[in-house]
This record gives sequence, structure tokens and C-alpha cells, in this order.
Amino acid sequence: MNETGNALLRYLPLVLLAIAWEAVSRFGLVSSSALPSLSDVVRAWIDLVKDGELITNGLASLYRAAAGLALSIALGSVLGIFMAWWRPVNVLISPIVEIFYPLPKSALIPVTVIWLGFGDGSKILLIFLGCMLPVTIGAFNGARSSEQVLVWSARCMGASRLRTLWDVVLPSAMPELLNGIRTALALSFILLVSSELIVAQKGFGFLIGFLGANGNYDAMYAVVLTVAFLGFAADRIYLLITERALAWRAS
Amino acid sequence: MAGVVVSDRPNGLPEKAARAAYTLFWAGARVFSIVLLLAAWEILARSGTFTPFQLPAFSRVLARIWDDALSGDLAINSALTLYRALTGFLIAAVGGVMLGMAMSRNTLARWFFDPIISVGFPMPKIAFLPVVMLWLGVFDISKITMIVFDAIFPVVAATVIAIQGVERELIWSARNMGARDSELLWQIILPAALPTIMTGLQVALPLSLIVAVVTEMLMGGYGLGGAMMTASRFANSTAVFAGIVEIAVVGYVLIKGMALVRRRLLIWHQEAAAPYTQ
Amino acid sequence: MAPSAQIVINRVNHLYRPQHGRDVLALDQVSLEVGNREFVALLGPSGCGKSTLLYLIGGFLPVETGTILIDGKKVTGPGPDRGIVFQHFALFPWKTVRGNILYGLERQGMPKAEREKRTMDFIELVGLAGFEDSYPSQLSGGMKQRTAIARTLAIDPKILLMDEPFGALDAQTRGLMQSELLRIWQRTPKTVIFVTHDVQEAVYLADRVAVMSARPGRIKTIVETKFDKDNRDILKSKLFVEKVDEIWNLVKEEAIKAQQKRSFSQEAEP
Repeated sequence: MNETGNALLRYLPLVLLAIAWEAVSRFGLVSSSALPSLSDVVRAWIDLVKDGELITNGLASLYRAAAGLALSIALGSVLGIFMAWWRPVNVLISPIVEIFYPLPKSALIPVTVIWLGFGDGSKILLIFLGCMLPVTIGAFNGARSSEQVLVWSARCMGASRLRTLWDVVLPSAMPELLNGIRTALALSFILLVSSELIVAQKGFGFLIGFLGANGNYDAMYAVVLTVAFLGFAADRIYLLITERALAWRAS
Repeated sequence: MAGVVVSDRPNGLPEKAARAAYTLFWAGARVFSIVLLLAAWEILARSGTFTPFQLPAFSRVLARIWDDALSGDLAINSALTLYRALTGFLIAAVGGVMLGMAMSRNTLARWFFDPIISVGFPMPKIAFLPVVMLWLGVFDISKITMIVFDAIFPVVAATVIAIQGVERELIWSARNMGARDSELLWQIILPAALPTIMTGLQVALPLSLIVAVVTEMLMGGYGLGGAMMTASRFANSTAVFAGIVEIAVVGYVLIKGMALVRRRLLIWHQEAAAPYTQ
Repeated sequence: MAPSAQIVINRVNHLYRPQHGRDVLALDQVSLEVGNREFVALLGPSGCGKSTLLYLIGGFLPVETGTILIDGKKVTGPGPDRGIVFQHFALFPWKTVRGNILYGLERQGMPKAEREKRTMDFIELVGLAGFEDSYPSQLSGGMKQRTAIARTLAIDPKILLMDEPFGALDAQTRGLMQSELLRIWQRTPKTVIFVTHDVQEAVYLADRVAVMSARPGRIKTIVETKFDKDNRDILKSKLFVEKVDEIWNLVKEEAIKAQQKRSFSQEAEP
């Protein structure tokens, strides 16, 4: 079977589920308010796009997630690498990391609201704080895995100590760092939706809550599925991009 | 880097004392960092850079936790949150392992669930909470359902990988010695798969706590998450900070407890401990 | 030996200080002189400190007791005058063969056209033409080691430090690589310090073999081993076999002593 055929076969169960969904609601097996039919949901989705609600809220959400994530990647990777490079930094910072590791980051939602209110700021701060952890840990473990003999080889070829940080430690850390960022990516979506469901004035989470409160369940389902799909798509796109960057690994 | 090397120096009392001091120093350095952090918090709070609302002093937060403990609120809320998290976790654990086992042995199950798991994994499943609430109301059952929905994914994924990863040689040796299918499964495959399954469980447990807290925040009422939301609505920042510390402690206890269980169960397995180690 | 030898190692000690556990004396009053373009082998049992000595010469470890002089100047750090080749190749896995070899030349500030040409010259010298755009993960052990050697030779070091470079290769490849190394060495002669625990390899390749004792490492004896290296049949000659035997007996005592020390140290084997 060719490649497209294989892909279709692989995702066929999802298609079957979609068909089953439509069938179940069409035949009135479940109350139509709890489970609107797939076709109703699709129609509601199109309406939401048309009147701009989905796009406006979507962009607001994506902006928050992107900003928080970008900040956490920038700071987290630098921090993680320096923790591995200089022992004093490690001794100082890693107990802090160990403390925050078991904390459910969602517990920080009320605090960020206290500090920055209901708007973008609190969400960005929350995502930044939450995503710092996997990025830092990935950068740290990745940098630690860089081999002494590689650094020595670079040094004997004329690289200064600082230069080896860029030429050897950073590329060595890449696989684990990119993995940590992948975790952070998923986490950013989770924190985004959680915080917007609980306290927001715009965004996907807000829209879901708003539509639900108004009994507009078709549209609510539409947004839920949109967010879920975006999370999935973001992960897949990320994998596609990073696979190329890691092409040098064992083939 | 390892331990005992016979050196050319004597091993008398001074050497032993030096090594003890050395170990103490490094243990002390770690605690020192935390103490420094807490001290900085206290000083910063009192310095007036932030209002008591934005940054209540650590001492006040501690006092609030103590009050909560005395009044029994801490116990009730923690117990509720733990009850929900652990119930959800256990259902996800058992269900997840069974589904993972089914997927490994049955091609149809494998074909059907594989895309569901791989597509569902990176989705922010918390987005489905309003849907779950629509179906099941605002009681514990919807919280626990949400927890199971979230936590089951890492368990299934880990189980499938674990069972697939069992070395062929182990299975062939066992068959060679006459093991039947059921014996093979319970006596050989599951123990061999246990380390990886445990890793999946170690991901699922904190996840259960996270989801429990979020669902409580959304639905209010009792529980650590609910209490934090109430405090937040009353603009009681001390109570909010207290809540964070309480949840952090619960999270810490769960993770350490899990690591302990792992060490006990896997005493036979030479392997490093939890995902993040120094 | 010329009065001012190129490498003068004088009463060097090295103390290894692990993070946990006690200090270990790895080298004890080691003295050795190596002349220009000499091929010297450091031979000894595991843990005797031969690699440590190499790293000290290379400037990767600091010389705390004693001195190491290269052309009369103290060693203060790593540099392109002492190129190193490691047992497990130490290639940058994210760079191609070409990228690995170019790296040192880039650090030297060589202009682009010149670097590209020099890189291709060395790729051809070690017989890897056609593989310049492959990644290390796509190469066999022997090819990786040839890349490592090319990479080090490209920066034209006066001294070549080799840390059991053929230890990770299978026996057949090892034999081929030994001949390769000699061929390259005869074309571009350099001072070579070659660490190994294989007696036959040491006697075949080196002009002199320095036998080291078990830890703490000392130079036990130095034996002249100049043979006609162009001819691999020399390995079967009576003279050669006797020399190997002589040196093997010297090493054997040390190997037994090394086995008896209860050591679980996991540092890069000295």
C-alpha cells in the first residue's frame, strides 16, 4: 500500500468514531443538548469563523501562549546550560527547581491573577513560569551529557573555553533541550486553557465558558475541538521542524 | 562518580572526619539555597517594595497554614483533593495498563486505539472539561472522569512501549522452559515491563494532581483548588499563597512516595531513579 | 637523545581528586624525554596513568607537581601544537566529516578557500574521499577514526598525542589502521606519543616503548624498538617476537599488580 493509503488506514478509527458520533446523535440515542450532532458542530464552527469570534479569541490565546513560551525558552535554555557549566549556579538554582518540580503549575493561576489581573499579563506570566521548568531541565540534562573529550578536542584545535560553550555544549544539549521544549509546548496549551476557563475576558477558554453558560453547546463543542486540534497540530509541526535539526543522529 | 578507591594514604580518624565534613557541606549547600530563598522572600515582603497584598510575608503565610491545620480545614481540603486525584490515578493506572496490554496482544485493539492515543496525547485535554461537566454535572464524578481522561494516556503509552520492549530472548527462554501463555504474561512480561510502566505511572500521578486542582478551581467548593479560588475571590492573598505552599507540599509528598514505591518494587532492577536527578 | 629534547617531562606527579571519595595518586615522579619526530609508545596496564600523562602533555589537566616543557616552554593549556586523537573518536556528531575537519582550520583563522582545499587534501590522505558529507553516525569505526586523525593532522600540530586510538576497533581494522598510521607518519613526520596496552602494537609502531608501572604510575623501563616498519612481515620475525616477549614480561608483573588493587573508579581510565 502506498504512503497515503497507509496514513488513511492509520487514522481510520478516528473517522469511524466521527461517523459513530453523527449516527448516535442523528438517531436520538443521546439527548441532543448533551451531544449535538457532528454536523451541527461543524455548522456552528463555520458561523464562529464567519462572525470573527473564533479568530479574535483564538489570536488572543495564541499570542499569550506564544509570548509565555518564547520567554521561557529563551531564559530556560540559558539558565539550564549555565547550571550545567558552572557548579555554583547549579548549587544555587537546582534546589529551587527541585521545589517547583512537584508543584502543579495550575496552582499558580490565582497568584498570577493577584499580581497581574485578568488580562494577558497573568496568562503570559503563568505560562512563562510553568514552561521554564521543562525547558531548564532539558537544557541542563542536555548540557551535562556533553562529553569531556569533545570539549578537549575543540580546545586543542584552538577554541577558547567560552567558545566551546557555543561550539560543543550547546549542540550536544540540543536533543534533550528540544525534547524539553516539546513538553513545554504541550504544557503551554494546558496552562492557557486552564487559566482561560477559570478567569479570563477573552481567549479560547473564555469563549468555551461563555458559550457553555449561554447553552450554545454546538458552538462550545466547536471551540473545544478547535483547541484540542491546535494542540495536536502544534506538536506535530514541532516534530517535523525539529526532526530536520536532528538529522545527524543515528540513522 | 564512584566511591571507594584504595589510595596510598592512611584511613585514620582525620580522613573519616574530613569525608563526613565534605558530605555535610554539600548537603548543607542545598538546604542553604532554600533557606536563602525563604529569607529573601521574608525580607522582600517586609521591605515595602510590594504591598502586603502582592507579596504577603512568609511568616504570615506560615501562620495562615497553621490556622488552617488547627481548624481542620487543611486536613479536609487536602484529603478531598487527594481522594479525587488518587481515585482518578488508580482508575487510570489499572485501566491504562489493561488497555496497554490489550493493545500489545491484539492487533485490532492496537489499530483502533493507536491513533486515538497518539492524537490525544498532545491535546490539552482539559479543554474537554466543560463537555464533561455538561454530561456529568458539577460533582466529584466529573472531576474524577477528567483526571482519568488525562492520566490514562501516559500509562497506556508507557505500557505499550514497555511490553514491546521486553527482550525477545527473555520470552524465548521462558517458552523454552515450558511457560504457558498466562504464566508468560504475569511472570515474565509484566515484571520485565514494570520499570517503563512505572515511569509512565510517575508521569500520571502528578498529572492527576494538576487536573484535580484545576477542576476544583473551576467548580469551586471544597478541596485545595476550590479553597484557593474562594480565597482569590475574597482577595485574600495570604490564603492564596498558603494554598500554593500546601499544594506544593502535597505534590512533593506524592512524588517522593511514588519514588519510594518504585525503589521497593524495582529493587531487583539496576536503574537510575526518578526522571529528574541532580 | 638530543640535549634539548622537544618534550621534557620532569618529575611529574598527578593527584586525582574525585568528587566523592579519597584522592588518588595517579602518577608518581614521572620523567621522560622525547625528541623531535620520535615515535614513543606509553605502555602499561589499565589504570597506570598513561592516559593521564598524555592529558597533562596536552594541557587538558593542570601540571601541579613537576614540569612539562615543550621546546623549553611550560605547558599552560591545550593548543594546536599538540593535537590529540581519542579512543572513541570524539567527533562532533552534528557535523559532517568535512565539518569536523574544517572546525580546527576555522579556529586557526585560515581563509575559506585555503581551508576547503586543505580539508579535501586530508580527506583524500586518509582515504575517505566520497564520504565528506556523511555524518559520523553513518560511518564505521575505522572510518570514524580516520576522520579523527585527519581532523587532528589538518591543524598541523608538531606533536601528535594518541590515546589508544585503535582500541575501539575490531582486530582486522586495527591492523589496517596501524599500517595507515605509519604510512601517514612517514609522509608528514611528527613527534608521536602513543598510548596503548597492546604490546605488539607498541613494539611495531614505536621507536621507543616506555613501560609504565601499575598505579601510581612510574616509568619502569624504556626499551628501544626500532624495526623496519614498512614490512608487516616483520611481525613474524624472531627478533620482533623476542622483543615483544621481553616487554610483555615487564608489563605482566604490573598487570597482575593492577588487578589486585580494589578499584571501582570510573574516571576515564588513566
